[in-house]
Amino acid sequence: MDLDIYKKSWKNQSVEKSGLSDVDIRKMSHSKSSSIVKWIFIIGVLELVFWTSLNFLVPQKYMELYKDLKIVDVLKATTYLHYLIIIIFLVLFYRNYNSISITDNTKRLMNRILSVRKTVKYYVYYNLGTIIISNILLMSILLKQPDNLVSAINPDGTNIEAGTVITTFVIATALMVLIMFAFIGLIYKFTYGRLLKKLNSNYKDLDSLEHLN
Amino acid sequence: MQKDLEAKFLLDFEQNQNIVHKICRMYTTNQDAHNDLFQEVVIQLWKNYRKFRGDSKFSTWMYRVALNTAISLYRKSTRTIKTQDIDDFTYKIKSKEYDDTEELQLKTLYKAVHQLNDIDKALIFLYLEDKPYKEISETLGITQVNARVKMNRAKDKLKNIINP
Repeated sequence: MDLDIYKKSWKNQSVEKSGLSDVDIRKMSHSKSSSIVKWIFIIGVLELVFWTSLNFLVPQKYMELYKDLKIVDVLKATTYLHYLIIIIFLVLFYRNYNSISITDNTKRLMNRILSVRKTVKYYVYYNLGTIIISNILLMSILLKQPDNLVSAINPDGTNIEAGTVITTFVIATALMVLIMFAFIGLIYKFTYGRLLKKLNSNYKDLDSLEHLN
Repeated sequence: MQKDLEAKFLLDFEQNQNIVHKICRMYTTNQDAHNDLFQEVVIQLWKNYRKFRGDSKFSTWMYRVALNTAISLYRKSTRTIKTQDIDDFTYKIKSKEYDDTEELQLKTLYKAVHQLNDIDKALIFLYLEDKPYKEISETLGITQVNARVKMNRAKDKLKNIINP
């Protein structure tokens, strides 16, 4: 069977205007897009804002603890570096988003959309990484100076054993990281998972064979 | 200026809107989704019309925007109220004498096309529109060799669906 036999009826398909006037088309062209690019942008911005604002949520009490531990200078230096990295991520996010053009070829377009998503993903990984690494570093410093830690966490000198205080601190930190991972996993499943399922499989389809030549 | 541009856009669109309808018919199976996708394509066309320099034909540019919207940007509408299935429509044929052979053919064709994946749909669409491989490979962003291989596979799939 040759598919060419369908070409004639394909060409003869009537122009379906579905009663749309110029006014309708004009109105339509000015309505709001509901494309996945728009959603990826909105969710991406929310994520960037969320993770960036977390950095400002260090309570004053912690600063005192850092002072006691004499790590304020190190902390300042790493904070500046951290801000620089955040800015680089924001610039990358903006540039990738800006480079999305619907008039590109299909493969490049999909690639660009996926890059925006990737920038945000790496930003989140970076933040998680810093949280974990800084906690490990902090803990190792603290464990070397258990007296300071105990007095910082337990300033009133309530009668609790130093070992208990440290264990509680370690468990609390680990729990916090775990909860964050679970939270992010859930968010991803319900946002990007649903948004990008189709795009990812289309990209795979189009990209298959490309590397064989 | 804006008004002139808009008038020109509407004229260009009017002359070529059949392309968008055909693509929407291929990528959706009910009227709500069809309208949704159609609207998204119109939004994207207008948003990018300023950048359309006329160095390619408007229709070629339109194929690209419409296919890209269907493949990459469009999200299935969440409001999928059970509406009339497009397969139940009778496809109207421009013909002086009434003959339902072509209508039936179109119905069979669309029904089969709906079972293909998004990329195969695009390939079959470009084939039915008689586009050369050079244009197909440029539109999709793959090599001409691969466009040919993929096209043959898509056609085979379609044939198997029509004549199992």
